[in-house]
Amino acid sequence: MTRQEKIRNFSIIAHIDHGKSTLADRILEATECVAKRDMEEQLLDNMDIERERGITIKARAVKMNYTAKDGQTYEFNLIDTPGHVDFNYEVSRSLAACDGALLVVDATQGIEAQTLANTYLALENDLEIIPVVNKIDLPSADIDGTRKEIEDVIGLPAEDCPAVSAKTGLNIGDVLERIVTDIPAPKGDENAPLKALIFDSYYDSYRGVVVYMRIKDGHIRAGEKVRMMSTGAEFDVVEVGHMTPFGILPCGELLAGEVGYLCASIKTVADTRVGDTVTSADVPTAEPFTGFKKALPMVYAGIYPADGAKYPDLRDALEKLQLNDAALTFEPETSIALGFGFRCGFLGLLHMEIFEERLEREFNLDLITTAPSVIYKVQYKNGEEKYIDNPAVFPTADEITAAYEPVVRANIITPTEYVGGIMELCQDRRGVYRDMKYIDANRAELHYTLPLGEIIYDFFDALKSRSKGYASLDYELAGYEESKLVKLDILLNMEVVDALSFIVHADSAYTRGRKIAEALKNNIPRQLFEVPIQAAVGGRVIARETVKAMRKDVLAKCYGGDITRKKKLLEKQKEGKKRMRKLGSVEVPPETFMAVLKLDEE
Amino acid sequence: MAMTDHTLGLYVHIPFCVRKCAYCDFYSMGYREETARAYVDALIAQIRANAGYGRDRTVDTVYFGGGTPSILATGEIGRILAALRASFSVSPDAEITVEANPGTVDRAKLDSFRASGVNRLSIGMQSASDEELRTLSRIHTRDDFRHAFFLSREAGFDNISVDIMYGLPHQTEKRLSDTVDYALSLHPEHISLYGLKIEAETPFGRDPGIVALLPDEDTQADMYLKTAEKLEKAGFFQYEISNFAQKGRESRHNLRYWQSRDYLGFGPAAYSCVDGHMFSYPRDLARFLASAGDGPLGEDAEVLTENERATQFVMLAFRTAYGVDADEYRRRFGRDFPTEYGDRMKPFLESGFLRVENGHFFLSREGMLVSNSILSEILDFTP
Repeated sequence: MTRQEKIRNFSIIAHIDHGKSTLADRILEATECVAKRDMEEQLLDNMDIERERGITIKARAVKMNYTAKDGQTYEFNLIDTPGHVDFNYEVSRSLAACDGALLVVDATQGIEAQTLANTYLALENDLEIIPVVNKIDLPSADIDGTRKEIEDVIGLPAEDCPAVSAKTGLNIGDVLERIVTDIPAPKGDENAPLKALIFDSYYDSYRGVVVYMRIKDGHIRAGEKVRMMSTGAEFDVVEVGHMTPFGILPCGELLAGEVGYLCASIKTVADTRVGDTVTSADVPTAEPFTGFKKALPMVYAGIYPADGAKYPDLRDALEKLQLNDAALTFEPETSIALGFGFRCGFLGLLHMEIFEERLEREFNLDLITTAPSVIYKVQYKNGEEKYIDNPAVFPTADEITAAYEPVVRANIITPTEYVGGIMELCQDRRGVYRDMKYIDANRAELHYTLPLGEIIYDFFDALKSRSKGYASLDYELAGYEESKLVKLDILLNMEVVDALSFIVHADSAYTRGRKIAEALKNNIPRQLFEVPIQAAVGGRVIARETVKAMRKDVLAKCYGGDITRKKKLLEKQKEGKKRMRKLGSVEVPPETFMAVLKLDEE
Repeated sequence: MAMTDHTLGLYVHIPFCVRKCAYCDFYSMGYREETARAYVDALIAQIRANAGYGRDRTVDTVYFGGGTPSILATGEIGRILAALRASFSVSPDAEITVEANPGTVDRAKLDSFRASGVNRLSIGMQSASDEELRTLSRIHTRDDFRHAFFLSREAGFDNISVDIMYGLPHQTEKRLSDTVDYALSLHPEHISLYGLKIEAETPFGRDPGIVALLPDEDTQADMYLKTAEKLEKAGFFQYEISNFAQKGRESRHNLRYWQSRDYLGFGPAAYSCVDGHMFSYPRDLARFLASAGDGPLGEDAEVLTENERATQFVMLAFRTAYGVDADEYRRRFGRDFPTEYGDRMKPFLESGFLRVENGHFFLSREGMLVSNSILSEILDFTP
């Protein structure tokens, strides 16, 4: 057997909660990389946020040794993939680094939207797919039904696929053997010029950027000069090695077929984009890998420090986080209402939430975040075309000839009994029905084209609540479509608050305006004067609410000369006011800026 | 720069009640005669131990508060007053007030008050509606109050204050107006108008349903404003957020607090402020009873900085109708009030919550009603 014949590079794909991380843990245990007692649950999910949310955010990779029934010891490289639609591109690059994939399907749930989406991604990358039916220890598990569904819906042979319980470890051996027998060994050319695919990278304060890659052809060792083909940037390799469950382990050389890392005193992950090709600077490969894309933010929001004086701290924090996340973009912006802050671009709402959490947890910052917005495209009367990522600067109707918004092709899988409710939801969100297929007697697959702006915030929650949690969603961007878009302005005490402006379809402007005004009314505490709240389109007021003036806020009695108590009360009140944001003369709590979004709670 | 006050007010706390009212979080407990007697003994010992605070000062106000001072056995208030006179130089025309619950006085006790020099009574009527009195778990009825009031007149009290509460559960403007009319029909010299505040550690505070029973904020504000107008029409001058008096009948003792003049308090949960030193007894009767042999108070006093004294002066002065007298502020602290507070006061002066007349900066009645919001805005608590 040649060296490469003993390597298996694979990944695990699954719908969320179908047991991907648990299966990964069992495989690590079974290959004796990790003693059971040393295992922190779900080893591959390293970040706190990942473990809390049960979602893998970053790709990971780990090298293991497995001695198979044929007596040979194989090198397994498991490349974990992010588990959220925000990171679809990263998933596809991780898969491109593999030769095969385990497709985990929950025997109690069957195929779901992400199962399909991930399978298609794997097929696009020519991976050998091994279906694995999981959770067979549960009483409601339907192993045969699930196998049949995999054959019918996906078209993969599954009659003898492994049926396991990743939780109890039952039949994990079958999976390991199938990895050996079914997943093809890499067939790289060791003597060809270096050609390696970057599937992840992270910034380490000692080593600089650590680049995770799959070596397709050639070899790489410390001291060589490499080139990133998308940018042309060149670096001197300082160290190469493997990823083990216990951290990275340097080695002398990485060869074709292997998965490993390189360090080359790289200052920022922006130089090591996922999907890029690493080659030798001296003897470059002719063609880079196809499919490289620069990660493009889809969702934008203004992020401001709650305390204006913390602006430099916020900038430093964003710069540090950007070292580690090439998808994050940020630019300084100024809001009349919120002062100095940044317009930040994210891959999606989850990505944005993770960032907010990290800024607050790791950098101790109090933030005010404006409602997230997608990027609109407008056509000015002079023919100029412009992308608008901040609703505050959206032009008025008479300045433009057309406005366009991004749309997605959404794929929803649901038990048939919820189809009506979900169609209604999609209709409410201005969805355009494409088609519907029945997966089996009980489940249907719905296809809609939906405006991205309508689904970024709470569409998924609404979908879950209308299907008792059963429906699943996947979507991909499908370009821009013309739309009747208008800017909805919010006025507090007769003054426009730029940070509350909102882009909305003309037909829903009135309803939306009314709801936003109501939500604001419930969010803004009484002030010493009456505060009118107005929603306006193009200067025309379409909704109005009023926060009545505060009339009574007084301590009746200073009991027996207990002045301290009164003083403490006033001091506390003063402290409380500090967290308020002053918009003109109106003080509002920081949550107000998100309140405009929480409109679907009726 | 601090000026020395050559007068002093004395406060004596009587922490006993027949039973606790549903809204009250003042320090008090059930009355037992032996305990009360021991308590008066301990008070007297403490008064003696603190005589030093009276050096070079004339006591011109004495206030017995509670709890229920009138619950003490006949002669006990006299015993305390005698001790105060022995240790302090109490002025012959000092204002001496006793808080009285209508359910705890009889003619003999009132006569004894008079005989020992008490010249002002503050009677807790709270409401003229028996239903409301029950809700508040007061021990008396409207008739009990009337009886106590007339009895006090018969005993010779010509300076009587009556407490009224507004913002009570189920209270309507009409009901409050009836209570006010009733109080006025008795012609007291002074009326206190207190808004009910729900305190956490009280039966009301522990009742999660209570808030729903209260008049809403606007109604409460109207109650206050209308009552204040009515009292004014009846010849009462509003001299403080919650207090109304006929000419010359303001509570001189309470004014001390609001004018940042010195006072010394005796008894658990009694507060003192002397020469910028603030101290108090813990809310602990047993500890107080055991304290008879202790030396003078104030070892653990919080000593206010000049800034804190000035801020406190402003905070308290704004409770009164006179407000802050810029001249007095300069006299006391050597600083210019309009310069120091001008910017922060400006929006409130513009909106009319604050007014200025002859160098006095004061809150309008609407301003008094939202004084916490205003003061928390304009005061700067940095030491």
